[in-house]
Amino acid sequence: MSFKYPVVMPKMSMTMETGELINFHVKVGDQVKSGDVLFEVMTDKIDMEVEAPADGVIATLVAEPGAVVEIGKPVLIMLTETEVMAFDFGDDDQPVIAVEVTAPTPVIAAPVSAPAPLIVDTPVKAVPKARVEAGNRGIDLRTVHPTGPDRTITMQDVNGAQLDPAIVKRQEANKALIAKGIEMTRGIAQASFSRRVSTSFDHASFIAAWAKVLRGRPDLAAHEQIGVALIIESKYGSALPVFRDPDQASLNDLRTLVASTTDAAKKGKVPVEMLSGATTTVFDLTTYSMSSATPLLFPNQVTSVTIGYDSESTKNISLTIDLNLCDFYDGALLLDALVASL
Amino acid sequence: MLTMAEAVREAMSIAFDERPEVFLLGEDVGIYGGAFGVSGDMFHRYGAERVLDTPIAELGIVGAAVGAALSGMRPIVEIQFSDFTAQAMDQIANQAAKIHFMLGGALHVPMVLRTPQGSGTGAAAQHSQNLEPWFASVPGLKVVVPSNPADAKGLLLASIDDPNPVIFLEHKLLYKIPGRDPVPEGATRIPLGVSKVVREGKDLTIVATGIMVNKSYEVAEKLAAEGISITLIDPRTISPLDMQPVYESIEITGRLMVVQEGPAHAGFINEVIAQMAGSASFGSLIAPIKRLAGMNIPIPYAPQLEKAAIPQVEDIETAAREIVKNWR
Repeated sequence: MSFKYPVVMPKMSMTMETGELINFHVKVGDQVKSGDVLFEVMTDKIDMEVEAPADGVIATLVAEPGAVVEIGKPVLIMLTETEVMAFDFGDDDQPVIAVEVTAPTPVIAAPVSAPAPLIVDTPVKAVPKARVEAGNRGIDLRTVHPTGPDRTITMQDVNGAQLDPAIVKRQEANKALIAKGIEMTRGIAQASFSRRVSTSFDHASFIAAWAKVLRGRPDLAAHEQIGVALIIESKYGSALPVFRDPDQASLNDLRTLVASTTDAAKKGKVPVEMLSGATTTVFDLTTYSMSSATPLLFPNQVTSVTIGYDSESTKNISLTIDLNLCDFYDGALLLDALVASL
Repeated sequence: MLTMAEAVREAMSIAFDERPEVFLLGEDVGIYGGAFGVSGDMFHRYGAERVLDTPIAELGIVGAAVGAALSGMRPIVEIQFSDFTAQAMDQIANQAAKIHFMLGGALHVPMVLRTPQGSGTGAAAQHSQNLEPWFASVPGLKVVVPSNPADAKGLLLASIDDPNPVIFLEHKLLYKIPGRDPVPEGATRIPLGVSKVVREGKDLTIVATGIMVNKSYEVAEKLAAEGISITLIDPRTISPLDMQPVYESIEITGRLMVVQEGPAHAGFINEVIAQMAGSASFGSLIAPIKRLAGMNIPIPYAPQLEKAAIPQVEDIETAAREIVKNWR
C-alpha cells in the first residue's frame, strides 16, 4: 500500500512564518531513503536541509526553487510504503497528511521552470589547494565544473567559480538579522566595563561561569531560564547558538555540546532548537586577536560579554549592561564576580 | 675544471694532509689507482701505509675499517661497485651503524664508505644498481649522493669530519664529467643534511638525486625558453633529509615532480613524496605529485633496454611539460 506524503515547509523557529526554497536535492522518480536530503530552505535565521521522513519515491515537485512557501504548505510530494506522521506545527491544526492512493504510479512531474543547480553526489575530486581555496571562499566544490584530468577540479576551475549562492544569501540574512537586532537597542543607555584576567578557560567553562553569576542576580535575568548565546563565526556568517542553563549541566557534557555546536555552526547548521531563548551574549574576539569591540546589546538582553585578546597569557573581559535595568555599581559587581569565578 | 673523480681525490688528499688518522682502503685503490681511477696517484703520494690494497673480501674490508674507526682512525673505504656492499652488509648495517648506540654513546665509528653506483655503463644487472634505499633505511648511517664535482668535494670533506658512518654514493657516469660550477679551491666543507636549491622557478618543483639532477637541469634550462620555469632541488644528503626548501618551493609552484634513477618501488624518492603528503604544504599542491624513477626490473644488458629502464632527459621533459599544462 502506497501513501502520498507531502513534505512541507517546516517551522524552524518561533517567529517563522514562511521559508524560501533554495533548491532541490532530488528530482521526480528518484528513490530516496529515510534521512536523505530532499531540499534546502532558508529563513531569516538559518538555512536547513529537509530530509525524507521515510523511504520512498519522489512523485511531484510542488514548489519552485526561489519560491517563498508558507510553513505547513507542501514543497514536494513523495510516495511511501511507510505510514508517516506529519510534523506538529503547533499553531494550526494540521491533519495527518497520509492519504492512500489507489493507483500508485505513474506520477507526472509538475513543471519546474528554474532547475536547481546541478549537484553531483559522487565524491568530488579536487587538487588539495582547490579544496583549501574553496573552503576559504565558501565554494561548494560539487557545483564546480572539473576540467582537469580524470574529472578533477583544478585551481583554474575554482578561481573561475562563483561563491555558492546559498552561502551568499545566508550571509546576507545573518547580517540583516544581527543589524536589525542591534538597531533595536540603539538609544538604550548602556555602559561597558573591562578587566584583564590571566586565568585560562575554554568557552564551556566561561559560559558556565557567566550563567552562574547571572543566576545570583534574578533581578537582572528577567527570565527563569538563562540562555547564553555564543557568537560563532564561519564562512556562512555569524551564528548565535544558545546554551540554556549551562551552569546546571556537567562541565564535560557542556564541553561536548559546545564543541559539537561549534562544529555544526561552522558548517552553517545550528540545530533549530538552539536558536532562541538567549538572555545574554558572549563574543570571543581572541580568534581575531582583537582586544575589544563595541558590544551593543541584543534586544531583550540586559548584558553582553566579550573575551578580548590582551597578551599571550592574559585576556580582556568586557561587560556591557543596560543602564535601564542596572547601574554602574551592578555592572562592576557582575564583572568582578565573573572574573572571580573563572 | 675538475671532474668528479678528481674532486673526490682532491678531497681525500686534503683530508690526508689535515689528519694523519685518515687512510684509504679497498680493492685496487693502490697501485692500480682505483677501478674508476678515483684514487689515482694517491698510493705514490701517500704510500702503502695510508693507501691500502685489500683482498677481494668486502666483509673483511669494512670490518677492518669499522675496527680502525673504533680505535681512533678515520678510514675511507672504497667498495669497487656498490652492488658488492651486499657482501659487507653486516658490518655496515649491524656494526658500523649500531655500535655507538649499543655502547651508550661511548664510541664513534667515523668511517666513510665511498662506492660507485648506477647504470649506463653496459655492466648489466649485478654492477649497475642504485641501492640508496638500503642505506637510507638504516638509522645510524648518513647517506650522501653528490651530483657534481664541487658538491662531491665539500660533502666528502664533511663526511670525513663526521663522527658517524657515512655512505657516499658516487654515480659512475659522473666521474668523468666536469660540473657546471668550478670546484672551489681549499678545504671548504658543505654541511651534511642541507638540500641545495640548484635553480629557482615558479611553475614546477623538481627534486632529483645524483645524475638525475643533471638531467633535470638540462630540462629546466630548455623549458625556461618555453616559459616554464622550474625550481630544481638536490637533497645531496638523502639521510638525514632536508625538506624545508621543498616545502618553501611548493608554496610558490604548487607542483612537485621527483626523479631518481633507482627502481620506483620503495625507492628513496618516495620519502620526499611521503613527507610532502603529510606536511603543512600539502594544501598548496595544485597537481598530483609526479614520480619518475627506474623500472622495477634488474638493469638489462642490452644498451637500448638499459636506457629504457631509467628516466632519460626526454622523459623528464615530457613529464614536466604535461604536469604544468594539465594542472593550472
